[in-house]
Amino acid sequence: MLLWVVAIALIFVAWQVLLKLTGIPAYVIPSPGAALAQIHDNAELMRELTWQTVSETFYGYIVGAVVGFLLAVLMAQMPIVHRLLYPALITSQAVPIVAIAAPLVIVFGFGLTPKLIIVAWIVFFPVVVNVLDGLASVDQDQVNLARLLGGTRLRTFLIVRLPACIGPLFSGLKIGASYAVTGAVIGEWTASSRIGLGTFLLSANAQMNTAGVYGAMLLLTAIGIGSFLLVLVAEHFATPWRTRMTAPAWFGRRVTPSAPPPDPPAREGLK
Amino acid sequence: MTIAATDNAPDRAAVKLSVKHLTHHFGVFKALADVSLDIRPREFVCILGASGCGKSTLFNAVSGLLKVGSGHILLDGRDIAGKPGEVGYMLQKDLLLPWRTVLGNITLGASLTRGATNDDRAQAADLAVHYGLGDFLNHFPHALSGGMRQRVALMRTIAAGRDLMLLDEPFGALDSQTRIGMQQWLLQIWRELNRTVMFVTHDVDEAIFLGDRVVIMLPKPGRIGSILHVELPRPRAMDCLTSPAFVETKRRIMEMLYSQATLHGVPGPGLQVPA
Repeated sequence: MLLWVVAIALIFVAWQVLLKLTGIPAYVIPSPGAALAQIHDNAELMRELTWQTVSETFYGYIVGAVVGFLLAVLMAQMPIVHRLLYPALITSQAVPIVAIAAPLVIVFGFGLTPKLIIVAWIVFFPVVVNVLDGLASVDQDQVNLARLLGGTRLRTFLIVRLPACIGPLFSGLKIGASYAVTGAVIGEWTASSRIGLGTFLLSANAQMNTAGVYGAMLLLTAIGIGSFLLVLVAEHFATPWRTRMTAPAWFGRRVTPSAPPPDPPAREGLK
Repeated sequence: MTIAATDNAPDRAAVKLSVKHLTHHFGVFKALADVSLDIRPREFVCILGASGCGKSTLFNAVSGLLKVGSGHILLDGRDIAGKPGEVGYMLQKDLLLPWRTVLGNITLGASLTRGATNDDRAQAADLAVHYGLGDFLNHFPHALSGGMRQRVALMRTIAAGRDLMLLDEPFGALDSQTRIGMQQWLLQIWRELNRTVMFVTHDVDEAIFLGDRVVIMLPKPGRIGSILHVELPRPRAMDCLTSPAFVETKRRIMEMLYSQATLHGVPGPGLQVPA
């Protein structure tokens, strides 16, 4: 965590030093101090804008992640769905996202919906691809073992296959988290009735308010970094076996055995 | 020390597993050629052979994972060929699920079939405590050594509650000190829990130390070359590894394995191949 603070501080320092050395005027590139002051001086407005953009990012991200995950599970279970959908998935990402925005506005108007769809559109792809890979790379011996233990199809899926794709799932979620805010900004540019940081950035630009542009950019960056860190934290708690020797109290059922080892006859049920 | 070359017809009533005339091809390669073998209840049978002799094919056939070309596999008189889930099964790879605790891995069989109950967990915990895993119930597998992981894998196999356990080189990846400890531990479990064990290995010492009988399989095509009764008294301790009876048995087995290796598929002198 300290490293993050140091890294970000270094970027600000480099920014400041560069301005000093080159003598670029403030109306072209403002100093980091001026950008931060812009945020501070308009705290009320900036909070509203940030909140708007954060909620678009958040809800769109959730929709994208859920859709992506469910699609991957469905495709892994049904080869025919896999074969039909995979080309469509690739195509969906080949369409420029800005080009999608316009038809979405025509269909859904200027509300939250088109923005959610744009964010989800960007987020679901890395999730589908990673989860599909994860589900495909489950150890076949592991699956055989589940068959030999008499496992039902559903339980084998839930207990053996699904947890095996948690790692890839979080890889997809992390990629999605850093892109989601871009989706929100594009959504705001094309389909906004309520203004967020993206719309503010455009209008500040039109008004030659360079400090405002940089202020909005800083906040958008913060949202992106924040989302990524949130996913990291979620991953940490969702996969305790990667970082801990023993299961934490909140993870499944812990057992504290009654102290002395039982005598052999006590195990009749196991024969 | 007595060595019976073949003994393939024990009393019908006392047969746990009966393998009859098993033949299987992978393409043109004959992996199993007319393999027949009976295993009595609570017997510990070791299947010994070099790689390519069909021992793993036999193992997969009995487990039900592999549908064999021809022949029958009877467990307690029922045909289980091609039916997974009838016997316990353990490999050299422990196949523990990294996201489940030791206890969760031991109760995996129950979780996969009907959901593990508190009873299942309590029984599994008692079993684990009794066999020296009590301090590790809430540990994740990655926190355990290779030997401990294999112990958990064996506990999982036992907790699944099948009478017949198939163990395919379960200790093959362990260092020799750990392996000897594991062998004695396995014998203790086998003695106390009255299970029938079919144990695949390529380690001659291991086969003699553990088994009531040692089934020697030969390659090209995979078949049973000979079956030896191991007449070492039980319980067997470390010192039996250097006893004259042990050494004599080992000499006989080596002779069979090596005569085979030099003669390329033709049975060596003094070797009887069952019809």
